[in-house]
Amino acid sequence: MTALPTTVSRKPVRWGGIALHLGCLAALLVMLYPLAWLLATSLKPAVEVIASLDLLPSRLEWSNYSTALDGVNDVSIWRLLTNSLLIAGGAVLGNVISCSLAAYAFARLRFRFRGPLFAFMIATIMLPHHAVLIPQYIIFNQLGLVNTYWPLILPKFLATEAFFVFLIVQFMRGLPRELEEAARIDGCGPFRSFFQVVLPLTRPALITTAIFTFIWTWNDFFTQLIYLFDPDKFTLTLALRSFVDASSTSAFGPMFAMSVIALLPIVLFFLAFQRLLVEGMASSGLKG
Amino acid sequence: MTTTTIPTKAQPATAAVPKRRPRRERQGPAWVFLSPWVLGATVLTLLPMAVSLYLSFTDYDLFNPPRWVGLRNYVQMFTEDPRYWRSVVTTVTYVVIAVPLQLALALVVALALKSMKRGKGFYRSAFYAPSLLGASMSIALVWRAIFNDGGTVDNLFGTGGWVNKPGWALLAVALLTVWQFGAPMVIFLAGLQQIPGELYEAAAVDGAGKWRQFLSVTVPMLSPVLFFNLVLQTIQAFQVFTPAFALSAGKGGPADSTLVYTHYLYDRGFVASHMGYASAMAWVLLIVIGAVTAVLFRTSRSWVFYASEGDR
Amino acid sequence: MPGHRTKGFCASAAALALCVMLAGCGGSGESVGGGKVVLRYTWWGNPDRAERTEQAVALFEKQHPNIQVQTSFSAYEAYKQKLATQAAGGDAPDVMQLDYRQIDQYATGGVLLDLAEQKAVLRTEEIDAGLLATGRLDGTQYAIPQGRGTETVAYDVEAWKASGVPLPGKSWTWSEWADTMRALAKKTGKPGATDPGWSEDSFEVWLRGQGKSLYTKDGGLGFTADDLTRWWTFTDKLRREGVVSPAEQTTQLDGSVENTPLGRGEAMSDTNWDAPASGYLALIPSGVALAPMPSGADGTPGQYFKPSMFLGVGANTGHPKEAAQLVDFLINDQEAAKLLGATRGIPVNDSVREEIEPQLKDFDKTIAAYQASLEGTLKDPPQAPPSGDNALQTTFQRDYDQVSYERMSPREAAENYVTEAKAELRS
Repeated sequence: MTALPTTVSRKPVRWGGIALHLGCLAALLVMLYPLAWLLATSLKPAVEVIASLDLLPSRLEWSNYSTALDGVNDVSIWRLLTNSLLIAGGAVLGNVISCSLAAYAFARLRFRFRGPLFAFMIATIMLPHHAVLIPQYIIFNQLGLVNTYWPLILPKFLATEAFFVFLIVQFMRGLPRELEEAARIDGCGPFRSFFQVVLPLTRPALITTAIFTFIWTWNDFFTQLIYLFDPDKFTLTLALRSFVDASSTSAFGPMFAMSVIALLPIVLFFLAFQRLLVEGMASSGLKG
Repeated sequence: MTTTTIPTKAQPATAAVPKRRPRRERQGPAWVFLSPWVLGATVLTLLPMAVSLYLSFTDYDLFNPPRWVGLRNYVQMFTEDPRYWRSVVTTVTYVVIAVPLQLALALVVALALKSMKRGKGFYRSAFYAPSLLGASMSIALVWRAIFNDGGTVDNLFGTGGWVNKPGWALLAVALLTVWQFGAPMVIFLAGLQQIPGELYEAAAVDGAGKWRQFLSVTVPMLSPVLFFNLVLQTIQAFQVFTPAFALSAGKGGPADSTLVYTHYLYDRGFVASHMGYASAMAWVLLIVIGAVTAVLFRTSRSWVFYASEGDR
Repeated sequence: MPGHRTKGFCASAAALALCVMLAGCGGSGESVGGGKVVLRYTWWGNPDRAERTEQAVALFEKQHPNIQVQTSFSAYEAYKQKLATQAAGGDAPDVMQLDYRQIDQYATGGVLLDLAEQKAVLRTEEIDAGLLATGRLDGTQYAIPQGRGTETVAYDVEAWKASGVPLPGKSWTWSEWADTMRALAKKTGKPGATDPGWSEDSFEVWLRGQGKSLYTKDGGLGFTADDLTRWWTFTDKLRREGVVSPAEQTTQLDGSVENTPLGRGEAMSDTNWDAPASGYLALIPSGVALAPMPSGADGTPGQYFKPSMFLGVGANTGHPKEAAQLVDFLINDQEAAKLLGATRGIPVNDSVREEIEPQLKDFDKTIAAYQASLEGTLKDPPQAPPSGDNALQTTFQRDYDQVSYERMSPREAAENYVTEAKAELRS
């Protein structure tokens, strides 16, 4: 079947386009079905949240949302939102700056032990998070930084997420060297060459880094749980869990409502950067 | 944007000229670029790793000082703990199911989006949407409702519930991961966008059809990104925790069928307070992942193509 | 050149601004206290408990203007982990809520303060001696029980009546219970109860009914593989007959009432602790009643009043006296008790309990009446379980899963469990 379109000229291509759209729409329907569940459940009365196997609620329980909007434990939802944004924003900034710096060194510069250090950097991606958790906690505790946002943000400024370093290295390796060489002949040192030539070209990778960092930090529950105690420093993700408790009655309805609310900022962030992603591609200098 | 002023006129420069003199001076700038990473890697990675390696040879309950026990944790793990081996089998099964499925889906969708003229942004956002969720408690509850007795899947296919059947539950967990294929998809898309249009034009001039172009341009040019995704997803799959944990309500059931490696590690370390044992488990995992990655890197030489190195 | 300067400068300026902002946020927690003593008090619970606790803490702060209390709570599983990490880092809070299963580990790990040192401000005379002893280890009082609960058979009253099977009475033995469940299953076509085989708690009740116990006084295993084999054979048989819930349902229990067979409307009754049983009411509005747990063949009761939670003081606290005052307030103060109600179980302080019992509302009243009906008939609670129990509870459920999915015989699974338990308790 796949061989056909090459031989015939017009029509099959258009049919192919329609088939493509239909296929994508069908796939989307399946993909988004659980999201519909999430939305529908956030409006279900308490009794139906767990027990009911129907998608649609018997009646719309808007009070789930008003309960969720009241915040948790005397902390307003706006405060929780601000906290989440602060942490995610700091993490994005940290990762973009520190990872691109390190990546440039690995991808383009020469220094002693580059091979072993690169291998070590890759190895840290494999490190199970649980293995270093306790020692890290002890370190931050010694520094008196527990119950601040430092343990959540500082590591990002120190390029500890080797995943992103690797990502950017891979991108930089794919860039043609000619541009940099031209810049070098014009007298640019490594710093200027990095900021003026390589960094703009790497923009797609940096935007990818920013998006992933934002989403993953936003959804990260474990680290926030360990390092933050004061309810007014809590994030939305942490507050979410306060609705559910095995040892007494849980508030599943409001929890779902708050999950939906917590989803909004990431959706907005993602949509906003969507456009930048495309723009970043267009201006990356590769096509022209 | 400023870069458009620098056209690709670099060819005349001979590669030999800038070689000799700058070599020693170049070290300095490199270390400036590296300094944040070096600090982080030493204090937040290397040091904790060393501590956890030490702990793996001790009996440590978090409260009392660690007691040296030599290789006992490792011996116990390999010879006296059937649940450990069950978790190994479960994890390997999971990796084998989830990684190819997720990558294939991400690649197919990315290719479909690339050849699409209109609505690309919409589809990209929509396909990414599930990945915005993470594996939160809410999504685990939704998943359980869909894959339970009388749930959507049961109604459609008459298979009964999946989450409560030992043979099926792991598949439900894997599907939760596969469903969130947004990250590899975006990486594929970015990779596809980076392939210079001239290559396709040149191929078309040479008379290559769409399929031929795909094989001789897309595949080799995308191979570094494919490799990157493969390595990363494999590493992450070996460390899978949240979906399996959330979907089984922290139990790894039914009948241990979704008790993955890191979940068992977490149980031994944080529930049973055997931090020494857990550290030993973590180190074995690290070594296994390291070996698997090394194998992937080795095979990559035969199928991954780097533009800049290919030029030389 | 200028381009690179600007960008680099912007980045570092942004980083610097962020640092300042963070430092500001970080420091504020400590500095607000001014000249006051600042205590950190953490607990697990839900928003309702949080609201009432905040009110009580506000009252405490009013009574003690020199003390400021920083509170923090999370759900149980999350809390357990956070506390463990904090304690391991030498950073336990001043006052912490503890579970029965945490006492041994935290006490032997040197995390908890000997409360006898603060006798002057922390009164314990009005707490039942047997109950108080559960917070004691090797003669040292490490924690004070805050509320008490006991196990119960919760059931759907209307559905049970409709089936025509006589309602449970004041007591029943395990075999009478099994017969009743059989009758229910026959009449309704649905299981009579949740399979109790998965629950270490139910097993303990069964064991105590025969005069045995889960653990010996010195923290060893108090039963043999034979005992466990008999228990699992008993429940396995009921499950095969369809008298109790099938494996597919039992395995989905996650501690929430919503996911029990009773909560889903797939069984008539459930064994659970009395406090969370109030959750059934939202799911079965027609009414839920509480029956006692079955007893041994000779009528020996297996259930007991268990401290639902404890309060302990961190050994490293800078303010032991103030911390003890807060504990005393939460346990003994009449006004505090009025605010707290029964959110942490029925109060352990005898006079406080008598005082607030008439004021209890709704299901709290049912629970108080249920507990009152058992008063004087139960045996003393066992001492706090050894720290290995934390892990064994999970192992117990996992091994029974192997039985109920028919991957192992009760004998095999029991042998496995006992081997693992002995290793766990030895280390």
